[in-house]
Amino acid sequence: MFNAIVSADTLRTTLDSVSVLVDECKIHLEADGLEIRAVDPANVGMVDMRLSSSAFESYETDGGVIGVNLSRLEDIAGMADADQLVHLELDEETRKLHIAIDGLEYTLALIDPDSIRQEPDLPDLDLAAEIVIEGRDIDRAVTAADMVSDHIALGVNEGEEFFYVDAEGDTDDVHLELTREDLIDLTAGPAHSLFSLDYLKDMNKAIPKDAEVRMELGEEFPVKMHFDIAEGEGQVTFMLAPRIQSD
Amino acid sequence: MGNADLRDLAVIEDVPFDDLSGSVVAVDAHNWLYRYLTTTVRWTSDDIYTTADGAEVANLVGVVQGLPKFFEHDITPVFVFDGSVVDLKDDEVEERREAREKREEELEQAREEGDSLAVARLDSQTQRLTDTILTTTRKALELLDVPVIEAPAEGEAQAAHMAREGDVDYVGTEDYDALLLGAPLTLRQLTSKGDPELMDFAATLETHDLTWEQLVDAAILMGTDFNEGISGIGPKTAVTAVREHGDLWGVFEARDVYVDNADRIRDLFLNPAVTDDYDYDPDIEPDLEAARAYVCDEWEVDPDEVERGFERIEQSVVQTGLDRWT
Repeated sequence: MFNAIVSADTLRTTLDSVSVLVDECKIHLEADGLEIRAVDPANVGMVDMRLSSSAFESYETDGGVIGVNLSRLEDIAGMADADQLVHLELDEETRKLHIAIDGLEYTLALIDPDSIRQEPDLPDLDLAAEIVIEGRDIDRAVTAADMVSDHIALGVNEGEEFFYVDAEGDTDDVHLELTREDLIDLTAGPAHSLFSLDYLKDMNKAIPKDAEVRMELGEEFPVKMHFDIAEGEGQVTFMLAPRIQSD
Repeated sequence: MGNADLRDLAVIEDVPFDDLSGSVVAVDAHNWLYRYLTTTVRWTSDDIYTTADGAEVANLVGVVQGLPKFFEHDITPVFVFDGSVVDLKDDEVEERREAREKREEELEQAREEGDSLAVARLDSQTQRLTDTILTTTRKALELLDVPVIEAPAEGEAQAAHMAREGDVDYVGTEDYDALLLGAPLTLRQLTSKGDPELMDFAATLETHDLTWEQLVDAAILMGTDFNEGISGIGPKTAVTAVREHGDLWGVFEARDVYVDNADRIRDLFLNPAVTDDYDYDPDIEPDLEAARAYVCDEWEVDPDEVERGFERIEQSVVQTGLDRWT
């Protein structure tokens, strides 16, 4: 049993954070909210998110797992205005999700959860450096880097205590430094890793500009980015595997 | 190329590429190249694939376009090349095989009669891989740091042996004979679009309640690369007959039929010439600059044909997967 009412805005933000990586996902219906964990087919980018039941206008479930086609569900959610309410109700018999938006009723065929890519194990990472940065600064760095290259280096200068972004193109380069004062917080440690901009651009799309993003970094290690959505009622963690310097 | 009727017996299911992530596949190099040359690369444009002095280099395009598929799914290919056919050469068995192949070629050509261009093309396609193709393929793979194993005889048999030893996870070939060679898990359609097929040896034996020897015996009744099948015996009859009479000779006696050299043909599948002397480094670190120079400068392949492939290789081999940390 699953019966919930949520604002279209919250639903869309939640789905966006997953759909930037995968087309289909399993949604775990837990008593205290929804949980989704997914990794892209190449095993490079992962999302681990939960949306608390308190993010909903109403939320009832006795547990279970459903499989959804994210773009289909996003299209439906896109039919609503941001502040409109979306009513979701699971039909256990037919394995369909009934979605109602202000008189518009949509019946979404669910996907057999067993046919969806297995959920990944969480990497066990001990990352030395941590910064807290505004979503809009990530956006600025990613957008600028994308003009010159297809990959981006993120690092922390331990001695001088600043976070930096480097992108080297064939002819042009981009460099950005943010000191402790420019950031919300900084825990210095040795950190420098190279990432694919294709992935980071997609993840960036799902990070609200006004979000405080806690970013954990290491030396040629995956980056973790934690941020809240839905006014603190949802927590998202992105993980992205690094590219390693071939030489 | 194996008897396609084996498909009726084989337990085969589609497997998503994603599920193969992290695995090692021993690829039957000749079969893989052949597929690329006949289905994917060749004939989309003749000029692009030959050098100024007429040497064929379509295989290099195939290598560069075909490898990213492995790398992007985090699959390590190990290319197993056929050794010399000397061991078999003066065998009657080999003569029969050649005669059979020749007949097939003639048959195919006849079907195409009336279209001289198509006949010419078909003719070229049925030719064996040239020395140039084999040499340049090895060199390109070497520059791209892809492991290459030289089989003493049939590459497919060597690949099956390595899989049986547990040194690789899968054999990669289109050839259903992999089943007769006892390859535990065989991936087909690695060169095609979409997901590959997985052919399961143990499940096949179990489904038909056969031993490995009996499966080979059934195949010999149906016809293999080395012998004509017995007239009127298809997959179903072959399996039933072998189960009923125990083995090939039991069937021969009961049905009063015979296949020349049956014991030797049997041996080619059950005890093929293979070597345990193989070693490879699964960490692939291609020298892309050298590979580009080799393919585009030395062998005059139009850079536009291969640049996308090289880019995909470059991106896929330096990008790590999160599973490295789990």
